Amino acid sequence: MSPSHTPHALLDRRINLITGKGGVGRTTVAVAFAQMAALKGRNVLLAEIGSPEESDSPVGRCFGRPELTDIPVRVAPGVHACQLWACTGHELFARAVIPGGPLVAAALRSKALRRFMTAAPSFHELGILYHFLRLLEQQDERGAPLYDNVVVDMPATGHTLALTNLPEVALRVVPRGPVAEAMRRGQAFVNDARVAGAWIVTVPERLPVTEALELVDGLRASSVPVRGIILNRFLEDPFAPDERSEAEALLSRRRMRGHFAFERINRGRDAMARLAGAVPETLVPLREIPRDEGDPCAGLTLALTQAA
Amino acid sequence: MSASTPSVGQWLRNKRVIVCCGAGGVGKTTVSASLALGAARAGLRVVAITVDPSRRLAEALGIARNLPSPTELSHERLRAAGVEPPGTLAAWMLDPQLVCDRVVNAVSPSEGARRQLLGNRLYQNVSTLIAGMHEYTAVEALHEFIRDDRYDLVVLDTPPSRNALRFLETPARANAFLDPRILSFFIPSQDSAFHRAGSKLINKLLDLGLGRAAREELQEFLSLFQVILRHLNRNQEEMRRFFGSPDVSFLLVTSLFQAAQDEAHHFEQRAREVGVRMGGYILNQSLAHVEELPPPHGLLSADAPPSARRALDHLTALAALDERTARGHLALATALREQTGARTPLWVLPRLTGQDMDLTALVDLAEVLMSTPATTSPPIAARSR
Repeated sequence: MSPSHTPHALLDRRINLITGKGGVGRTTVAVAFAQMAALKGRNVLLAEIGSPEESDSPVGRCFGRPELTDIPVRVAPGVHACQLWACTGHELFARAVIPGGPLVAAALRSKALRRFMTAAPSFHELGILYHFLRLLEQQDERGAPLYDNVVVDMPATGHTLALTNLPEVALRVVPRGPVAEAMRRGQAFVNDARVAGAWIVTVPERLPVTEALELVDGLRASSVPVRGIILNRFLEDPFAPDERSEAEALLSRRRMRGHFAFERINRGRDAMARLAGAVPETLVPLREIPRDEGDPCAGLTLALTQAA
Repeated sequence: MSASTPSVGQWLRNKRVIVCCGAGGVGKTTVSASLALGAARAGLRVVAITVDPSRRLAEALGIARNLPSPTELSHERLRAAGVEPPGTLAAWMLDPQLVCDRVVNAVSPSEGARRQLLGNRLYQNVSTLIAGMHEYTAVEALHEFIRDDRYDLVVLDTPPSRNALRFLETPARANAFLDPRILSFFIPSQDSAFHRAGSKLINKLLDLGLGRAAREELQEFLSLFQVILRHLNRNQEEMRRFFGSPDVSFLLVTSLFQAAQDEAHHFEQRAREVGVRMGGYILNQSLAHVEELPPPHGLLSADAPPSARRALDHLTALAALDERTARGHLALATALREQTGARTPLWVLPRLTGQDMDLTALVDLAEVLMSTPATTSPPIAARSR
């Protein structure tokens, strides 16, 4: 067992960005990370990207709280959850840097301006990043960080990279001023491998693994440290080498039940080999939680805790 | 086969445009590529449009990515895939920035404006900077082909997103950005006093936040790009009306891992609100047909070695796993069938073994796709038990 697999190792960084292709179980993994941290007695913030216009909250649904807003609320012992809203970021920014801030903040709340800010180039993403920054900086009454761990359910690959690339692109266009300064403050958190790391969730299928490897490269290019890869819905290989060749011989005789699960095992082996060969970071296979085995979030928390 | 359970092959006969929607990771791109291939094999002239697909799909079809226009598959490839004249297949993996450049080249009011916009740093990152640019360009590309009589059928694979409905909302979101009343505050030289005051405040704000140089670059971008966006917007509006016509059908591709029932419900509701035709649902990669296969029993003779016995034990456990998955898939298909009602077809596509994405795999899937009848209630696989 590698040293990175010792207990607590999966949560050795304060900020955990959970990302990956659509449909691989990102949200469930993000929820499991938050619960795992809370089980260790930490105060956790679990965030997802949303907007006041879109009422659906995938994170909230896992806790039976589909109405999450931009204000963190306690959803489980030790876990607070909220959404990152662009408009909240805009308002916080306006209040922080602009004299007569409250007036401007009121203007920002006007429907027309908000609609523009939603669609104008990068203003949306900038707002989300600023909201995230302010949550990271929140302190308790003793001046210590309010949240010991921050877990973010990031959007799918392309949108994650759009967010993580933004600070560098934006600093090229806007090298000075309050926006640039806020961006650098954010980078100090998110680009520091002692503080933050991205977890890429994928499943043992050829295309998702390829996309995960591309995401590793993309994140490295935007200076976001990659903490590891989580191979979700992994099916353990029960076959010893001699048993495997016997099984292959039996399966080649005719099509039968069990063939699909056998192929899944093979895809899992391929995925492990490809990922381990290409990524030096931690690789965590997580067994599938069958649909009829109760709450998938709770099951995954257990599986993750066992993996850690 | 009765009219109420058409196969996809029968269903697509009178369609001009099929829009494949679905959340990421459901195999939407593969399904739409197979759909296009199947239609071409049935003798139609087909163009498949897809945004940012996997490299492997481009490889499987044997075409380059990010070309400025659709590419016809080579004769050898078409023959290998069983496509005979008059059937043809062209594919276009489009790059939002390229589509946007084409529009800029076509509609810029002057050569100076064109060069200025192409040189603007914000414009150069427009596809990453403007939310929804992928969706706009997909619609724009579709707009180019609806009047193109080289093709009988256009299959559009929509950009991947968590929300399968996002694509339907594209025109509305484009309008929000293009609202001239709002945009005008950001662009200098407006004549009313109200506008001047508003612009001044906004300039001040932007100067404080971005600095003057960046603010000026943003304004240059907005004023130049307005023309382009107006053009895109006109086409989006036209497409919105076109989406409601009987020639266009929306397909929701969904998988068995996700909350397919909720997704289908929301999609149907939203489709009705937007006024588009819900063509059908494709439940992808089902294992429901596993129940038709024999279990791994009676395969070993009495003198089989212990390793073979252990292998068989493992296979028996795996068979139970397959059965369990199959039961889950079947229950979901049944529930979805009941929910969607008899009018909207639901196709349950079996997961094929040995799925490596190449032309042969696409042909296999196309064959299944074209011939699978829509499920009635109870689904086909349930009756054969």
